[in-house]
Amino acid sequence: MSSLRVEAIDVFYGDVQAVWNISFQVEAGEIVTLVGANGAGKTTTLRTLAGLLRPRAGHILFDGKDVAGLPANELVARGIVLIPEARQLWPGMSVRDNLEMGAYTRAARAERHRTMQSVLEMFPILQKRLTQNAGTLSGGEQQMCAIGRGLMARPRLLMLDEPALGLAPMLVRQVFAALKEINGRGVTLLLVEQNVQHALRLAHRAYVLETGRVTLEGTGAALMDDARVRQRFLGEAGL
Amino acid sequence: MERLASVLLSSVLSAGLYATMAYGLAVIYGVMRIINLAHAGLMMLAAYVTLALNTRFGLDPFLSLLVVAPLFFCFGVLLDLTLIRRLPQGGNAPSMQSLLLLFGLWLVLQNLAYVVWGGDTQAILTPYTMSSVPLLGERYGVPLLLVFGVSVLSLLGLNFMLRRSFLGRAIRAVTQNRDAALLSGVNAARISAVAFGLGTAFAAIAGTMLSTLYAFTPDFGRSFLLKAFCIIVLGGLESFTGVAIGALVLALIENLMAAYTSIPTSFQDAISFSLLVLVLVVAPTGLPALFRSFSRRAVAR
Repeated sequence: MSSLRVEAIDVFYGDVQAVWNISFQVEAGEIVTLVGANGAGKTTTLRTLAGLLRPRAGHILFDGKDVAGLPANELVARGIVLIPEARQLWPGMSVRDNLEMGAYTRAARAERHRTMQSVLEMFPILQKRLTQNAGTLSGGEQQMCAIGRGLMARPRLLMLDEPALGLAPMLVRQVFAALKEINGRGVTLLLVEQNVQHALRLAHRAYVLETGRVTLEGTGAALMDDARVRQRFLGEAGL
Repeated sequence: MERLASVLLSSVLSAGLYATMAYGLAVIYGVMRIINLAHAGLMMLAAYVTLALNTRFGLDPFLSLLVVAPLFFCFGVLLDLTLIRRLPQGGNAPSMQSLLLLFGLWLVLQNLAYVVWGGDTQAILTPYTMSSVPLLGERYGVPLLLVFGVSVLSLLGLNFMLRRSFLGRAIRAVTQNRDAALLSGVNAARISAVAFGLGTAFAAIAGTMLSTLYAFTPDFGRSFLLKAFCIIVLGGLESFTGVAIGALVLALIENLMAAYTSIPTSFQDAISFSLLVLVLVVAPTGLPALFRSFSRRAVAR
């Protein structure tokens, strides 16, 4: 199991700063969630941790080693895997090819048949869709395929950006149940989710992000009871 | 009726070569989002290399593909490592820098060819250059049939590689969604080098085959480059079948015009470029996308 320590990172898009001096940590085996409104810097943070963006300042320690600025493929090989917002499947490739390509790194490729087996056990519907093009799947099936593809890389830290976005309530429950099961198998999870109630209930700890800064932190349960969180994210009217 | 059959056959025969020619452009565009303006120069260079192998070692042009294709693959990889890699990365449309660099590369290749081989028109003659076979009441040159066969083989080989190998699927993955490919551990720099190598190799395969059909000078390839543009615009740039469809449509139009109208064949280029303009106006995303939107509308009704 793997731990992540983010120390005071700044991230820019060109000259525009999107993330200001953010620090947080995810202990081995934990589920941590980042909550916050649109534009708070959640997606930017995840894309930086995945190596799609480079932090201009700060450190990212994964199992004690600084991995800030490493390219995405190098981070995947070390076990940091991001399941991006809006699934991002390859629409013109079959579900099987989407899953197999998830196991692209050398270590994952050697294990791909066994990993595929366990992914199909977790999401049996994908078994029926294996030869279909990913572009023809329903929203829920696409999300399962995206999670499956992420698992194919055999992650040690799995990051998910809005896995429940646009899904019907029943599917949302199914996705969260799958996340719990994945965590139970020893994968550390870092979750960004608009569905704050579900996310806080699942997470051991949570951080609240506002305009690119961390403003609150605590256990999932404590934040559920926090008046500011209830008012801002759980739709409770202020008194 | 027999005339139509022979027009169709000629179209299919030239479509094979056209697709080979266009696929080199399409694979580079798909992965790197740049347009290889040096494509024509690479075809020309391959024609001269084929000529050199033929005169120096008596190597048959079609057999020389076994040397030329790997050689140009390496040349393409080298070009990527030394030049293309320095371009700004990650844009969604070809950058001005990439167009200028590759256009410049074309000029350099052209002038190198003038220095090395001079400006005289060259041609490759083989024992079978002048022989032909009767098919459907017309006679077809043996080189033309061989070109078709080699085109089909190389495209099938490429298709197999793109569908079955991890490297090939990585190329398709980068083409369809670059971020997702990076997040799955694909090394984008390596895939770009391979794609540029493949595109260059396919330019070379096309160039070698063209050298068995036409005479050439260092300016050779220009009108074929424009045809290749026409094909990938018709086919929608990103899919394998799209390129094949585009090649077939262009070949059909050219052959139908030649057979049923009195427009002289010297106007062939004018036809394909009018078609290019027409498609850019009517269906800028390519014919397959147009068909898809038609069928979706039909379903909606």
